[in-house]
Amino acid sequence: MPITDHQEQKPVKLRARNLDFSYGDKKVLDGISMDIFAEQATAIIGPSGCGKSTFLKCFNRIHEVSSEVRVAGDLEIDGVDIFRGGIHEVELRRRVGMVFQKPNPFPKSIYENVVFGPKLFGVRDRDILDGIAEESLRKAALWDEVKDRLKESAMSMSGGQQQRLCIARALAVNPEVLLMDEPCSALDPIATAKIEELIFELKKEFTVLMVTHNMQQAARVSDYTAFFWLGRLIEMGPTERIFTNPRDRMTEDYISGRFG
Amino acid sequence: MLMLKAMPSTAGDPARDAVPATKMRLSIHSEGSRGLRFLLDRGAHSVFLACALVVVALIVGILVFLSLRGFAAFLPLAGNTGRTLSFAEVFLSTEWAPSSDKFGILSFMAGSLSVTMLALLVAAPSGILTAVFVTLLAPGWMKTLMRQVMDLLVGIPSVVYGIFGLTFLLPLISAKWLKDSPAAGFFAAACILMVMIVPTIVSLSMDAFEALPRTLDEGALALGSTRWQSIWRVLIPAASPRLLTAVVLGMGRAIGEAMAVQMVIGNNPAWLSLMREATDRAPLIRFLFTPAATLTTELVQELPNTAAGSAWNNVLFAMGLLLFLMTMGIILATRRLGQRGAV
Repeated sequence: MPITDHQEQKPVKLRARNLDFSYGDKKVLDGISMDIFAEQATAIIGPSGCGKSTFLKCFNRIHEVSSEVRVAGDLEIDGVDIFRGGIHEVELRRRVGMVFQKPNPFPKSIYENVVFGPKLFGVRDRDILDGIAEESLRKAALWDEVKDRLKESAMSMSGGQQQRLCIARALAVNPEVLLMDEPCSALDPIATAKIEELIFELKKEFTVLMVTHNMQQAARVSDYTAFFWLGRLIEMGPTERIFTNPRDRMTEDYISGRFG
Repeated sequence: MLMLKAMPSTAGDPARDAVPATKMRLSIHSEGSRGLRFLLDRGAHSVFLACALVVVALIVGILVFLSLRGFAAFLPLAGNTGRTLSFAEVFLSTEWAPSSDKFGILSFMAGSLSVTMLALLVAAPSGILTAVFVTLLAPGWMKTLMRQVMDLLVGIPSVVYGIFGLTFLLPLISAKWLKDSPAAGFFAAACILMVMIVPTIVSLSMDAFEALPRTLDEGALALGSTRWQSIWRVLIPAASPRLLTAVVLGMGRAIGEAMAVQMVIGNNPAWLSLMREATDRAPLIRFLFTPAATLTTELVQELPNTAAGSAWNNVLFAMGLLLFLMTMGIILATRRLGQRGAV
C-alpha cells in the first residue's frame, strides 16, 4: 500500500503499484506504490540518482525510447493499465504531457512549436490552430511577450521563455496530466519564479507531477510531496506535513539538509 | 614547478624508488639546458611556420598559374601561338572542333552538370534515408559497422570504381537493356558516381543526425508523435542545414571526379549534336546512353595532346579554372550552410 496519509476529496488520477524498473542489470525503481490525485500538484524530491525522473517518465512511457529497459508492476491512469491495458502509447502521450529538464523547443517558429501537437492529430483549420496557439500561450503566461513575433524562431527566445514555450506546446494538445522533470533546473531565479507561478495556476486545471531538486520549490508549489531514496518511496504526504512533521527519519534528514 | 607537481601523485606509487631518479632528471633538464630549450623552441617555431608557408604558397601558386593560363585564351599574351578567343565563343557555344578552330565548351559544362545531377538524384535521398535508418532506427552495432564501411568506401581510389564500371556495369547494361549496343554514357557514369558519393553523403548525414540533441526526439514523442512523425516533422527539418551540406559536398566530389567517369562515359565531345541527330530511340534513352563528355573527362582526354600556348591548350586550362572555381564555390557554400546550421 502507498505510504501516505491523505484525506483527499479528489479522485486518484495516476496510480502506481509495486513498480520495478531496471536499466540492464541496474535496478532503478524498487516496488513503488503511490497515488497521484487529480488537479493537484505532486512533487517528488530526493537526491540525484534516486529514480525520481525515471518514475516520472514511466507515466508517458517515454522511457521506452531507450533500449534494455525492464519494467514490472502496474501503472494506471483513471484506472486503466498503462502498460498492458487498452491504451496506445500515442494516445497516452496526448493525455499525459511532459516538460523536460532542459527546454527543448523544435528549431521552428514559435507558432509552429505550439501547434505541432494539434497538427499531429490532424487539425488543419487555420482559425482553430490560431485559437489553440493563443490559448496555450496565454495559459503558459507567454502570450504578451511573443504575440508580435510568432513567426520568429523559437531558438531566438531566452531559456525561461523557451521553457514556457515547451509548457505551451504541451498544453496545446489539451492533456489531463502534466509531467515536469526538473523544469527549472536550467533557469535563472526570475525565470524560475515565473514557471513556479505558472505551475500554481496550472494545477487548478491539470494534474501536475513534478520532479525537483529544489525543496523550497516543492514546498512552494506542491500540494503533495513524495520523498524517494535509492529507488524507493520513503514517505509521501501533504506537503505541509512532510516539511513540518516528517514521520521518517530519512525524510527529516534530507529536508533538513543533513544528506543529499 | 614540474617537480612539485609530480611529487604528490607519485608519492603513493608502489614504485617509490623510481621517484628520486625522475626528480633528478627533471631538475637537470629544467635548470641546466634552459638556453638550449629556448633555441629549440625558436627552431621548431620556424620549421612549423616554414611548412605552413610552403603549403599556402603552393595553393596560391596553383591558383595564380591556373588563372594566368586559363585567361590566356582570352587575352593577346606573348606566349600565345593561336588566336585570341572571345568569352562567348568558348562559354556559349556547343561546337568543339579544335582542328577547325571551334572551341565551344558549353556541351562539357552541360555534361558535367547532367552527370552530377543524375547521380545526386539517387544518391541524395538514398544517402539521407540510409543515415536516418542507421542513426535513428537500427541497433547500435549496426551504426558502428555502417560507419566503418562508409569510411572504407570513401577511401577507395576512384579508378577502382572506374574498373568496376568498365568491366562489369557497361557489359551488364548493354546485355540486359540495350540489345548489346554500347552502354557508355550519362547513365553508366551517373551510376558509378552515385556509388562513389553515397558514402560521403551517408557519413556526413549520420554526423548531422548524431549532432541533434536527443531531447528533440523525446520532445516530439512526448507530444504524441509516432516514430515516423518525429523523424519527418522534427528530426529531418532540424538536421536539414547539415544534410544540405552533406549533399553539396557529395556534389563537389561528383563534379570534380575525372578518372571513374572517363572510363565509362564514352568520351564523345560532340554528344549534343549526336543526340540531336539520332532519332532511333526515345529522347530520354538517347540522353542516357549516348557516349558523352564532361569538363573533367575532356581535360584528361585531350590535355596531353596539345601544345602549350595554342588556343586549344589555353581553352583546356580555362576549363580547369572553371572547375576550380566551381569546387571553390561549393566549398564556400558549405561553409555558409554550416554556419547557418550552428544554432
